[in-house]
Amino acid sequence: MVMTRDEIFEKVQTVLVDALGVDEEEITPKSTLMADLGAESIDFLDIVFRLEKAFGIKIPREELFPAESLMNNPDLISNGKLTAAGLAELRTRMPHTDITEFQKDPSINKLGSLFTVNAIVNYIETKLK
Amino acid sequence: MRFILIDKIVLLEAGKRIKAVKCVSLAEEYLADHFPVFPVLPGVLLLQGLIESASWLVRETENFAHSMILLEEARNIKYKSFLAPGSQIEYTVDAKTIEENISSFTGIGISEGQEIVQGSFGLRHFNLADENPAMAAVDDRVIENMKKRWQLLRQ
Amino acid sequence: MRWIWIDKFTEFHSGQSAVAVKNVTLAEEHLHDHFPGFPVMPECLMIEAMAQTAGILVGEAKKFQEKVILAKIKKCVFFDYVKPGDTLKIEAKIESIAPEAAGTTGKITRQDKLIAEIDLMFSHIDKNLGGKKFPEENFVFTDTFKSLMQGIAD
Repeated sequence: MVMTRDEIFEKVQTVLVDALGVDEEEITPKSTLMADLGAESIDFLDIVFRLEKAFGIKIPREELFPAESLMNNPDLISNGKLTAAGLAELRTRMPHTDITEFQKDPSINKLGSLFTVNAIVNYIETKLK
Repeated sequence: MRFILIDKIVLLEAGKRIKAVKCVSLAEEYLADHFPVFPVLPGVLLLQGLIESASWLVRETENFAHSMILLEEARNIKYKSFLAPGSQIEYTVDAKTIEENISSFTGIGISEGQEIVQGSFGLRHFNLADENPAMAAVDDRVIENMKKRWQLLRQ
Repeated sequence: MRWIWIDKFTEFHSGQSAVAVKNVTLAEEHLHDHFPGFPVMPECLMIEAMAQTAGILVGEAKKFQEKVILAKIKKCVFFDYVKPGDTLKIEAKIESIAPEAAGTTGKITRQDKLIAEIDLMFSHIDKNLGGKKFPEENFVFTDTFKSLMQGIAD
């Protein structure tokens, strides 16, 4: 399936409107799922299911939203922040996301800020190649 | 067992917002089945608390014009935590629109600072006589009964 | 009042779909409150009938090892009301299923009339809700529910 980035964004937008009950206008590439769009853990699962259906691909949840396995590993977290090993692991798990800003203060509370609409569009783009 | 899922109205702004509370007690029979060893208020009854709150806001706002107020649709009703016997939940329902025969709302239920349920829904309101004029007396009887219940809730 | 909102399964295709039946009768006390003078089945209880049909379908797909609970009503729409004497047919289908959750779609009909469309999400609570305490054993799928399945599962 060959889709342009814009086409992917539009489809992702529709998925998020349906899953989160927000208006289309609220969904910009930079919008964060949790802080801006009000997504919670059950919504993340709903989003994954809907994206799978919309794009005809399989999405292992930890591939798109790799939070749990990072947070439960003591080698990767120290004092509420990701260690160097944690950051390396994050980069491997989320190649579709730019973590430069996050690196400056890699607190696990801020991990959610990485889950942006852009991150989803990047991920889908890679999967569709 | 009575099918009334709110106990008291604590705030009412006609046309805009209503707040109601519900106490949860082991005396409520369905808790024995939901679940044995772990009684919690069923999710759909949390939604019913929101629906009843919104329905009363409609009834009061339209001065009990309609007998039937029913759920037409609900979206993204999320269940965030459990509500156990001995707890109290406060429902806050905000009206987006209230028109003659339809209305839409957002609602949330909070207990001890914890969000329990949240989502959006719409109601439809009508009289049975709209379809069948012979039913006008039934509409009147339902409305009279609901007015009596309203008195109880507002005490 | 018992918290069982389906009467029996008429079809059960493990991991895929199921059909259940619910009879609505004046013998059900709650109808007399909803509404006094004109009893109709509360829409929230139709949602519960779907939740039980779909929830058992999802639970059985995991051999009742998971505690499956309703986490989100994605969408539900109602097209008509239901009265005592009606028999409802509840059809549920698994759309997606993962270790932590499942999504279902479904519809409720009365003879040929579409009464409702209901899409739900279930959560497997041992895999979610970290930090909340609940008992070990599977309190969700009691013998009452399992008995509904007798003789029907393929």
